[in-house]
Amino acid sequence: MAQKFTKWIPAAVVPVVIAGVVIAVPMAANATGSLPDKSAQEVLALVASSNVTALSATFEQTSNLGLPQLPTGTGAQGSGSTAQAASALELLTGNHTARVYADSTNGAENMRLQVLDSMAERDVIRSGSDVWLYDSKKQTATHATLPAKSDAATSAPDAGDAASTLTPDQLAAKLLAAVTPTTTVTVGNDLSVAGRSAYDLVLTPQAGDTLIGTVSIAVDGSTGLPLSVTIVPKGSADPAFTTAFTSISFDAPSADLFAFTPPAGTTVTEQALPAEMAKPTGEAGKGTGRSAGKSADRPVVTGTGWSSIVELNVGTDQSALTGSPLFAQLMTPVEGGSVFSTSLVNVLLTTDGRVFAGSVSAEALKAAAAAAPLAAAPAAK
Amino acid sequence: MSPSNSGVASVASGAAAAAARPRAGWSFLASELVLLFRRRRTWVLLATLAAIPVLVAVAVRLSTARAPGSGRGPAFLDQITQNGLFVSVVALTICVPLFLPLAVGVVAGDTIAGEAGAGTLRYLLVAPVGRIRLLLVKFAAAIAFCLAATVVITAAGALIGAALFPVGPVVLLSGDTIGVPDSIVRALLIAGYVTVSLAGLTAIGLFVSTLTDAPVGAMAATVVVSIVAQVLDSLPQLDWLHPYLFTHYWLGFADLLRQPVEFSSFSSNALLQLAYVLIFGSLAIGRFTSKDILS
Repeated sequence: MAQKFTKWIPAAVVPVVIAGVVIAVPMAANATGSLPDKSAQEVLALVASSNVTALSATFEQTSNLGLPQLPTGTGAQGSGSTAQAASALELLTGNHTARVYADSTNGAENMRLQVLDSMAERDVIRSGSDVWLYDSKKQTATHATLPAKSDAATSAPDAGDAASTLTPDQLAAKLLAAVTPTTTVTVGNDLSVAGRSAYDLVLTPQAGDTLIGTVSIAVDGSTGLPLSVTIVPKGSADPAFTTAFTSISFDAPSADLFAFTPPAGTTVTEQALPAEMAKPTGEAGKGTGRSAGKSADRPVVTGTGWSSIVELNVGTDQSALTGSPLFAQLMTPVEGGSVFSTSLVNVLLTTDGRVFAGSVSAEALKAAAAAAPLAAAPAAK
Repeated sequence: MSPSNSGVASVASGAAAAAARPRAGWSFLASELVLLFRRRRTWVLLATLAAIPVLVAVAVRLSTARAPGSGRGPAFLDQITQNGLFVSVVALTICVPLFLPLAVGVVAGDTIAGEAGAGTLRYLLVAPVGRIRLLLVKFAAAIAFCLAATVVITAAGALIGAALFPVGPVVLLSGDTIGVPDSIVRALLIAGYVTVSLAGLTAIGLFVSTLTDAPVGAMAATVVVSIVAQVLDSLPQLDWLHPYLFTHYWLGFADLLRQPVEFSSFSSNALLQLAYVLIFGSLAIGRFTSKDILS
């Protein structure tokens, strides 16, 4: 009997060893080399001086915004604005893995972003002034030409597709731009992100009415490149949104990654850029009818810093959006409109065709809607 | 297949193994492979799997004659008409969730329980074949079947695709285009990926097979385990569990169709399957070496 018992020893030992390896290997990978102590101002300066020209990296985005889980591939069904809205929502709310390749060593701005979906992929390829969007599921490609000397890398073509996925460093740049006197900036304990030692820059908004609790940005100790962004809502311990590099290399990627030719069988559309993109001076009135309409739709920002509210006119013809079952699932009807509520951002869609969005409570949005005169709406609609 | 036949062959191979000690493992494995691939059941399983790409290709061929592809159906389905080489990928996508686990369940569940059920197990062990060695050889033969199954699907898909549709440059998920030789390399990589994916299930089947003398029970249990794992994998509430399910990376072979190739899912999958093989292999060894062989 004792001999029989010994026969089972491997079966008992092997799972323990595997469990040990599963726990030990990530810990070993996370072991951080110590970085010299830096003040918050010095870390901010390190970010500002960051000069990474080439990288190949993979990053993961997870979000837990308190929304119902959208079935994957929602964007493939439906048509028009509903499909686009669903696709943008899916990118914001779902968990995604993406790869990014960038190379601007030769002066030309080259970038490729690949959102790795299950059995599909969405790509943004920028080679100099050419920008391509490719969607393998829909088999569509969109081409746009950027005006010379524009620094708008991925924001140029219409938002709503893969372009609305930001790499951790792009998102960090946007957030750091919001650092105002109303924000406390501290440096936390050193982190390890993608196997690199990083400073943990913690931004805490001081404005009382924002939904954002803290924003943590991991800043690579040697290059100053932001490696991860974690946003924790106020009154919560769990992050609502995280994007972080899982692997990163600063070697220049192969040049043919940036040369994109739409494959055979793909529907190719040429997209003209809105006039205000092409003319940064902003003389919108001189444009064509379409661009004039666009500029009237330009968002209005009220408030400052973290509690600012963006107002946008979408017109009263909302049937395409409001008619979809997805919309009914996501929006809560309130007095004078309906609210799309997440743990980080609230969006109020009023019945008179205005959208108010901000990291503030729904009440603050309603107050803003009541305060803003409806006369601001464009007459020519 | 006749059970007595298999028993005789195994006993003979056991005797041969005793005669030539250093090469014993290999000749035992060779005889086991011959035994497995001579069985009519194995041929029927492989033929059924080969029929799936043929069915897919013929169905798409007949329907595209009437209406253009509408983008519905499994991934890559509408790309078949542009390139026949995609038939392999579509067929694997269809086979991975059910047909391959079914075939692997039949073979892996039969490994020990089949011999026990046919009453040949004790003759196998009377010949000087260690129980651990018997398990290793049975496992290796079952893995060889997994490889044969995926290669058969890939090859049948490529052949029928080439016969019915044009063959040319292949469009990857990233929108890049690669030539035919490169695409054959990728197809073989995918076949390798799927074979590795099935190793964990094979080990589970081997373990279940040591628990019972009824081969049908072991086969059914193995298939049920694979289906339960896939159901659990589709429940978002259990997402903490997903990376540990052996089915989690089964459809990850799509990462081999990106440009550049994404190997991280390949390595995660291989490590996960290795863990399953080690755990269920050691469980099978514990059970089989301490078991009273009565049949």
